[in-house]
Amino acid sequence: MAREKRFGFLVDLRRCIGCQSCSIACKQEWNVPVGRYRCWVKQVAKGVFPNTRKSFLPILCNNCEKPICVTVCPVLASYQKPNGIVEVDPHKCIGCRYCMASCPYGVRYLHPDLGIVQKCNWCSHRTENGLQPACVEACPASARIFGDLNDPASEISKQIAQNAVQPIKPEMGTDPRAFYIGLDDMTVEVKAHGHELAHTTE
Amino acid sequence: MDSIQLLYDIHNGETFGAMIAIYFYLTGLSAGSFIVSTLSYGFGFERFKPLGKIGIVLATLLLVAAPMFLLAHSGQKLRVWHLFVYLRWTSPITWGSFLLILYPINCIIYGFFMFKGRKRLTRIFGLIGIPLALMVHGYTGFILAFGKARPLWNSSIMPLLFLVSAIVSGIAMMILVSVVRDRFFTKEHKINTDVVSALAQMLGWCLVFDLFLTACEVVVHSISHLGAQESTALLLTGSFAGLFLLLENLAGKVIPLAVVFLPRTRGCIPLLLIASILVMIGIYTMRYNVVVGGEYIPLL
Repeated sequence: MAREKRFGFLVDLRRCIGCQSCSIACKQEWNVPVGRYRCWVKQVAKGVFPNTRKSFLPILCNNCEKPICVTVCPVLASYQKPNGIVEVDPHKCIGCRYCMASCPYGVRYLHPDLGIVQKCNWCSHRTENGLQPACVEACPASARIFGDLNDPASEISKQIAQNAVQPIKPEMGTDPRAFYIGLDDMTVEVKAHGHELAHTTE
Repeated sequence: MDSIQLLYDIHNGETFGAMIAIYFYLTGLSAGSFIVSTLSYGFGFERFKPLGKIGIVLATLLLVAAPMFLLAHSGQKLRVWHLFVYLRWTSPITWGSFLLILYPINCIIYGFFMFKGRKRLTRIFGLIGIPLALMVHGYTGFILAFGKARPLWNSSIMPLLFLVSAIVSGIAMMILVSVVRDRFFTKEHKINTDVVSALAQMLGWCLVFDLFLTACEVVVHSISHLGAQESTALLLTGSFAGLFLLLENLAGKVIPLAVVFLPRTRGCIPLLLIASILVMIGIYTMRYNVVVGGEYIPLL
């Protein structure tokens, strides 16, 4: 029975150790330019000594069901595949950066040499051929689960059914398809402002 | 609760930046001067006749210049033709790519008939141009309003605010242009105070409306959801407070408003000139604050 797949992503934050293996694997897989990231782990320190803990939040493209980046792309470069993955056609993109401006998750970047926008596509060249995304393969804590949401027997469907899961910023109405177990809203909300960002990215 | 600290995060770079702020500013000036131009040739206010021709010339030139900044901002400049071939009607930029073609063409036709002295056709194309001018600037408000993750942009008042500030900056520019032309480029060197004071009155009422809309935006955002509160704090007490409060609103709106309406100052041409320059600087600052300030606060 050929049922249409709908890919999804699940990050088990109880398992994440913040090692950035996913970021490195992604960089290697896609040759992501310096200073730009498709996938990274936000790190936050909570509490007062001795009651402290680091909180980790791996960020990647949500490949939303209702992607605003696709809605606003003026040249049809951003498009959604039937399996849910949102891709950028490198031959159509004009680098206007409207998708970057409208994405609530800040996961897109302009490639400095190619002049086009790129983003995480859950390694569609791998996942559409039965492999796992590079970041999932690299995660030493098995915190990342990728699979078919339309298959009730898949690992991701089982985990989502049996755990309390939540996407980031569901209020944006983009219907994100990356879910988190143990998501901490304080970690999501803490932000660096303007010039402070320079220190966090370099 | 208080002890939470960001250790590491990624910011994937600026999206729109000052280049787009300049683009918005120039389309605004163009739309504003077009509307001033149609006051006499479209709506029949004979008093503004001296501004008809110079208004349309400026509107056309500014709207030819404005998309150059879009082009400079684009990452793949040779692919701009994609905008006219691959169409996504849900994107304001697609609306804009057609408006940015139709509006200057209409400006040229309107200007052509005006210079030829064909009143009826001038009037028709002037009236066709009004909705085009409003749309060509209104759509830029939609561009920002569709950026739904940025509270400073994602406001239904944004297209209206952009239109009103466009008209404000356009009128201020026309005051400036009118005085400079009368003073330096006519035989009599006599300033047409009738036109200038009428424009100043219009400027004043538009400034009142602009201040009202800005206040609506700030007041509602200051008690709205967390992101909106952060964006208001950025404008009122944060890094953009100086630009927003002093340059945009005090120097760019309140002081010119006082100059235009106070009986002691409103007849004084040098003060009106300074007020117009302040308004033009203020509206550019407004574009900058909205575009750059809107994406100043990171998303995650």
